[in-house]
Amino acid sequence: MEMAIRTPLTIVTGSLGSGKTTLLRYILTAVSRKIAILMNEFGEIAIDTKILQGKNVQMVDLGGGCVCCSLLGELTAAVDEIIATVNPDHIVVETTGVAEPDALVFDIQENLRVRLDGVVTVVDADAMVKYPQIGHTTRIQIESADIILLNKVDLVAESELKAIINKLHSLNKVASVIRTFRCQVDPDLLFGIGREQIQSPPHHRHQPEFESFSYTSQGVCDRSCFEEFANSLSSDIYRAKGFVRFPTGTYLFNFVAGRWDLEPFESSATELVFIGKQIADYQLDIVECLRSCEQ
Amino acid sequence: MVPVDVLKKISDVVWEIPVSYKAGMRVPARIYGTEKLIQELDDAVYDQVTNVATLPGITKYALCMPDGHFGYGFPIGGVAAMDVEQGGVISPGGIGFDINCGMRLVTTNLTYDEVKPQIKQLVDKLYERVPAGVGSTGFVKLSRNEFRNVVEQGAQWCVRNGYGWEADLELMEEQGCLEGADAAKISDKAIDRGVHQIGTLGSGNHYLEIQVAKPENIFDREVAQALGINIPNQVVVMFHCGSRGFGHQVATDYLQIFLKVMESKYGIKILDRELACAPFNSPEGQAYFSAMKCGINMSFVNRQVILHRIREVFSQVFKRSAEDLGMHMVYDVAHNTAKLEQHVIDGNKRSLLVHRKGATRAFAPGMADVPERYQTIGQPVIIGGSMETGSYLLVGVPSGEQTFFSTAHGSGRTMSRTKARKTWRGETLQKEMQSRGIYVRSTSYTGLAEEASGAYKDVDRVIEAAEMAGISKRVVRLTPIGNIKG
Repeated sequence: MEMAIRTPLTIVTGSLGSGKTTLLRYILTAVSRKIAILMNEFGEIAIDTKILQGKNVQMVDLGGGCVCCSLLGELTAAVDEIIATVNPDHIVVETTGVAEPDALVFDIQENLRVRLDGVVTVVDADAMVKYPQIGHTTRIQIESADIILLNKVDLVAESELKAIINKLHSLNKVASVIRTFRCQVDPDLLFGIGREQIQSPPHHRHQPEFESFSYTSQGVCDRSCFEEFANSLSSDIYRAKGFVRFPTGTYLFNFVAGRWDLEPFESSATELVFIGKQIADYQLDIVECLRSCEQ
Repeated sequence: MVPVDVLKKISDVVWEIPVSYKAGMRVPARIYGTEKLIQELDDAVYDQVTNVATLPGITKYALCMPDGHFGYGFPIGGVAAMDVEQGGVISPGGIGFDINCGMRLVTTNLTYDEVKPQIKQLVDKLYERVPAGVGSTGFVKLSRNEFRNVVEQGAQWCVRNGYGWEADLELMEEQGCLEGADAAKISDKAIDRGVHQIGTLGSGNHYLEIQVAKPENIFDREVAQALGINIPNQVVVMFHCGSRGFGHQVATDYLQIFLKVMESKYGIKILDRELACAPFNSPEGQAYFSAMKCGINMSFVNRQVILHRIREVFSQVFKRSAEDLGMHMVYDVAHNTAKLEQHVIDGNKRSLLVHRKGATRAFAPGMADVPERYQTIGQPVIIGGSMETGSYLLVGVPSGEQTFFSTAHGSGRTMSRTKARKTWRGETLQKEMQSRGIYVRSTSYTGLAEEASGAYKDVDRVIEAAEMAGISKRVVRLTPIGNIKG
């Protein structure tokens, strides 16, 4: 219908104190693209900087073409104003910790200037252990996610983590769960999910076109076996990213539409995320292949 | 859903979940509503009301009113009274983010026939003069320091500055100012969010409505007269709004503070972190109580300034003074608060912090804090229905003792906002309402769709259930003719 390229937009949600602001700060330091962050309030990201007063948003220049915006009017108008003013490569909307993101998802899909790239939900692993019941708002946030960042994993025992991940999967079968410490995650894993116009109504969820799963292991992988595996990945695998441990050290694996590279990286375990169409069909094969490389 | 055999039927409209239902429950939970309303309740309400029953100091019952639905931590429609001398807690999730969100009702001496030809002009002018929408800012320009004074002084500040009449003050809960509000307990961020928002409706389910009291909808003529509704087809104005971003920030700030100290300092274990709380008699609990009072006062100020604008608009359109148009306040009720009240429990007078979240105080005749002129009839209760159906004016009754003198606050959602947006289109809804004689303006069509009556419980059934349970009594049902949706 419209000719213009729609700006990708990611929603970041999660309960109070789960680490959303930490994630946004980390994203800003780790990406080179022009990112506009839109929040209900400036919060702790932008302080003591010059505010550019717009009609629907107030903006703060964060340097490098990135801006932090606080919402004054309706979300749709604010998004249009951000695109018109700074034309960012990517927009990230941070919801307040008490917000239910499903209505926001709907609003964004009504807007023709943007396309919903994905919903990232930050979950506080420590709180999941401390409080036996998941609050209703948190539950909706988890259910809406494409990617769940299970943050503060350093505060809980490994055995508890497994139980938390099972609980998260029982609420959301399609989201991939990535464990993080201080929300340190490669931002490229969060962006480019391509959820597009496939938001399902909250009460009956379709399988989204793109799905993902993650693979973690303490094993050491044979490099040539892994390279062969990477070359043979199906064209339905849209993206894969993460760390892989070889006898010579750990490498960052970056796979986009058939092309891939490996670069040395500081990390101790293998931790890979695969994103693609009907990925469940490939999941068993992939896991099998990787396991065999670890022999 | 809670298995039916767990729900103990106390009467046709009162249902109990016993303490045996969940480990840690200190008192039973009681849900008000007819069997049909109970069946419509979402599962989250059962979880939430029984979670509330585990909080320290909770007295008698964790309650849910007939319009209950799920909320943040506590259900909306939740009432919980904490004994402050027995370690009772204060919890922002039991008050709501929109602190002192509430209703105000104003009469006129105009009839439907007189207002009908002007309804478009009235609604358009009100839409212009009472800013609505997410980021709306008001006309009252204050410095941050002045704003701090305003939230300590409440509606009295308004009257001193020409926004309203002296007589308005006695017709609000707490005369429009809760004593002990301390702006030193408020963050700069909360001040920044609130300073430009006085005199604004906001968004969501907030609205301003012109309504008619049809003769066939008057249930108690004598009480209606005492409340100023005494002409056939009399026109009244009702509006619903709260403390905007200010109250929201106060609640957020203290939720975070409570999460830090709740377990480490006070050893309070809770089931769901959305129930974050602190002992009422602790430095943190007291700080929040003082800050929350600022939120309560900000909301009274907001509604008072809006009332002033409504009087101005009516006066312009009808070319008569507001006094001459009989624009007297009926009352102003809060439905998101926690107040320290004295209640008699098993024959003993106790100091209870009564949390009412999406629930309205409904004091009986003769109780202190009921305005002088309403002493014989009881405290007025204003219930906002959905914008398409109707609203109610009720009064408190002596048997309201069972709910710490609390009743419903509206009709209560049955459908999520998202689902409502997908089910109705705002533009179509607006046209349909107009064809039924309701002229509506809104800042957002999707916002309008969220408020379609089909997304709500039937307000008539909710109010009937409240009356059958003996927690409030119907006086007048009001029919909308013009609406501004925030």
